Amino acid sequence: MRDKEIDEILKQAAQAPHNVDPALLDRIGKSIGSSLRPVRPLPPAWELAGGLFLICAGVALAGAARAGFFGIQALSVLERAAIFPTLAILIWLGATTAAGEMIPGSRRRAAPSTLLAAGCLVLLVVFAGLFRDYRTEHFVSLGAPCLAAGLLHAIPAALAIWLVLRRGLAVNPAAAGLMVGALAGLAGVSMLELHCANLEAPHVMVWHTAVVPVSAAAGALLGWAARSRAGSGARQRQVR
Amino acid sequence: MYPNSDLEMLMARYQQGDFTAATALVHRLSPQLHRFFVVQFASREDADDLLQETWLRIHEARHTYRAGEPVLPWFYAIARHIRVDHYRRASRTVAREQRLREAHEAAAAPAAESGGTPDLEALLASLPESQREVIEMLKVAGMSLEEVARATSSSVGSVKQKAHRAYERLRERLSGMGLGKGRTGELR
Repeated sequence: MRDKEIDEILKQAAQAPHNVDPALLDRIGKSIGSSLRPVRPLPPAWELAGGLFLICAGVALAGAARAGFFGIQALSVLERAAIFPTLAILIWLGATTAAGEMIPGSRRRAAPSTLLAAGCLVLLVVFAGLFRDYRTEHFVSLGAPCLAAGLLHAIPAALAIWLVLRRGLAVNPAAAGLMVGALAGLAGVSMLELHCANLEAPHVMVWHTAVVPVSAAAGALLGWAARSRAGSGARQRQVR
Repeated sequence: MYPNSDLEMLMARYQQGDFTAATALVHRLSPQLHRFFVVQFASREDADDLLQETWLRIHEARHTYRAGEPVLPWFYAIARHIRVDHYRRASRTVAREQRLREAHEAAAAPAAESGGTPDLEALLASLPESQREVIEMLKVAGMSLEEVARATSSSVGSVKQKAHRAYERLRERLSGMGLGKGRTGELR
């Protein structure tokens, strides 16, 4: 059997009328009509993404300004030229993806989980290529505070991102949460690169990079929880 | 099926608070959204509930549609979201799920035995969920590959692959039912 024949069979089957109870349609129409008023459409995706980019940059700069710009002072020109543009590109990609996740039917370049994995890998490659000091003295005692600081800065970034995106509708809240968390995590990593003067490769590769997946996992978990709650709420509000 | 530009215009008027446009959209799109749910193994009663829930969500999220963007992927992405939520809830109740499956098998059997073209629901019953929704959107809703990719949050390549696999399964099923080459003239 050829594809054209299958097409024809599907076409004929699809042409069979499928009626919906007119009373149900009237009920839906009345329900919509009772709360109908003009709404302001969301701004263009680039505008949302631009807002998210500025939030991440603002949080990173404000955090480093408060804690001190020791990291950027310790970096060579080459290291600065490699790290900060990479972070800027990753933040822009994360911002466009996060904005897209809040608009149903948006074009998706890649799944948020794929972008997260690719972003972490890029950071690891850049850090591994730049830093050659492989000492691991005080690995945990110096690293854990960096991870905590990065995550602490990811929280306000995530809250501000949520404020920008709250008018959207995440058709997959877990994926949207993952992307928002990852983006906030990138703000945390940016703050650490500006502030932390510890240039040991294992320290930067493990503790700095870890901010992104940990923050993304927290975002995904919150998204999943929000979906469960919204699902039961919507069921209760259903029009009858 | 309606031209996309027509639906886009109605959507823009709906966003401006036009009640006539809102009811026109409800009447135009509900049959195909309802069918989308029925094809996904929902009973008619469940499909009615899902349709109401979908319109409630569409109404709440109508500001997220942006003029110039394809309108059907926007509607179907929301409908799909509602269906996935419903599926998760339903799958928690195994007995209920079993009942739905039995009801659907019973509905599919007579059409298959009759030798004519089975109804769409019966025809797609043999497909996995992801392939079923792709075929429904492509062949019933008349969406393009790009639009289906948008509605399902996947890539065009992935949609093509699912459609290809679905056709392989359908070919096997239809051949088994004696609806192969040379019999297409007998189809209703």
